[in-house]
Amino acid sequence: MNKEVVRIFFLPLFLLLIVFPVLALVFNLTTEGIKATLVDPYFWNSVKNTIIAALLAAALGLLLAIGFAYYHLFYRNSVVYKIANLFNDLPIALPHTVAGLALLLAFGRKTCGFLGETGAAFTLFAVILAMFFVSYSLAARTLVSGVDQMEPEVIDVARTLGDHPGKVFFRIVLPLMGEALFSGFVLGFSRSVSEFAAVIMFGGNMPGKTQVLASYVFTKVETGDLDMAVTAAVFCVALSLLIVSILTIRRQIYAAS
Amino acid sequence: MLQARGISKCFGRLTVLQDASLEICNEIKALIGINGSGKSTFLKIIAGIILADNGQVLLNDKDIIGQPPENRDVGYVPQHPALFRHLNVKENILYGMRNGKGSLEAFEQIIELLDLKDILFKRPRTLSGGYQSRVSLARALVPQPKILLMDEPLSSMDVVLKERILPDFRSVLKKLEIPVLYVTHDPWEAELLADNYAIIDNGQIKQVQTSTEAFDLIRTSILRDFERGQ
Repeated sequence: MNKEVVRIFFLPLFLLLIVFPVLALVFNLTTEGIKATLVDPYFWNSVKNTIIAALLAAALGLLLAIGFAYYHLFYRNSVVYKIANLFNDLPIALPHTVAGLALLLAFGRKTCGFLGETGAAFTLFAVILAMFFVSYSLAARTLVSGVDQMEPEVIDVARTLGDHPGKVFFRIVLPLMGEALFSGFVLGFSRSVSEFAAVIMFGGNMPGKTQVLASYVFTKVETGDLDMAVTAAVFCVALSLLIVSILTIRRQIYAAS
Repeated sequence: MLQARGISKCFGRLTVLQDASLEICNEIKALIGINGSGKSTFLKIIAGIILADNGQVLLNDKDIIGQPPENRDVGYVPQHPALFRHLNVKENILYGMRNGKGSLEAFEQIIELLDLKDILFKRPRTLSGGYQSRVSLARALVPQPKILLMDEPLSSMDVVLKERILPDFRSVLKKLEIPVLYVTHDPWEAELLADNYAIIDNGQIKQVQTSTEAFDLIRTSILRDFERGQ
C-alpha cells in the first residue's frame, strides 16, 4: 500500500514540479540566444562576479562557522553561543529583501546605520556581504553537525594530554572535520550563487559592476531578451548541478573510506 | 596517591554519586559496578572531564578538583581507543609531548613494553582492536601521569583477546609502578588486572577484599535492581 502511494503521488509530482521546470528551460534554448549571450561581456562579467563573490562569501562564512562550532563544542551554555544560535536560524525565516535592507542600513551610504558612510553599498564587497549573510547559517549548521558526530572521548583524551579547548579544537577537532568543512564551504558557495534578493538590495544590479548571474537573468527577462535569459538560466542550472555533483561524489568517497 | 572524598553528582533529578570516597596508593585498583552505577562518572570526575557537585580529589595531597583536565596530571584510557585518526601511531603516542608532557625515554620504554615498534608509522584505522587498545594505553602512559584512569578499555573485545591482553597490561603497569584506577562491570576482568577491588553501588563505593566478594555484591545488586523493575 505504502509503495503504491509513493508511486502514485511522489513520482508524478516530482517530475511535474521539479524536473519539468528545469527541462522547460533547456527546451527553450535557442541558437540565437546562446550566441548573443556568449558574446555579451556583461554575461561573462556576471559569471565572474558570481563565482568570485560566492567563493569569498563561502570562505568568510566558513571562517565564522568555525568560530560558532568552537562555541558549540565548548561553551554551549554561554550567552554568546545562545545569541549566535538564535541568529543562525534568522536568515532561514527572514525574507531576503529584509536582509538586504538591513545590510543597506547598517553599511550603506548616507544612512542612519552605525557604520553608515562606509561606501560599501552597491559595490562587489556589498554583494559578498549579502551572499555571506544568507549563506553563513548553512555552513554553521553543517559544521555543528560535524562536531556532533565526533567521539567525545577523542576530545577528553586530548584534554588529559595537556590541550586546552583552543588547542583541542585546532589540533584535533578541525583536522578530523575535513568532510564537514568541505560540505560547509560547498553549501555556502551554492547558496551564495543562488542569492538574488539580498544581493540586489544591497549590492544593486549594475551591469559590469555588481551584476551577478541571478540578477543578469532578471534583467534580461525584464528587458524582454528572453532567449538570453534562458541561456543564462541554463548556465546557472549547469553550474548548480556541477556543485551538487562535486558534493555528492566527495560524500561517496568519504563514506567509502 | 589519590584520595577522592565525599564525591556527589546529580544529573537533573538522578543522583549518580552520593558521598563516594576512594583511596588509591601505588596499586591497580578495580572499581566494579553494573552498567549505570556511576563508575565512569566517578572516573571522569577524577579526570576533570565531568565536574562534581561536591567533594574533594587529592592527588599526592594536592586538591585538583578545581583544575581543568589539562592541568591534572592524570592519564585517561577511554572505553573506545579514541585514537586521533589523522595522526599515525607514533604521533598519537607522542601527543602529550606537544604540551611538554613525557619524554622520549618514556616513549622508548613504553613502546618496547607494549610491543608497538613495528606499527609506529601505521594509521590507527589499519590496526586491529587489540593494537588500538595498546596504542591508547601507550598514549596515556608516555606523559608519565601521576595516576592512570582506565574506563573499561577492553569492553568491546571478545573474552579470548581480553585473556591475552590483560596480563600484558598488568605486567606493563607493574613495571612502570603507576597507580591505576580500572573501571569495569566484569569481576573476572578485574581479577586478571587488579591488585584489589572496590564496588560501586547506589552511588557509594565500598572496598572489598576479593573478586569473589565483589562478584557476590554485584550479583546481589543486579538481582535487587531486577526485582525493583518487576
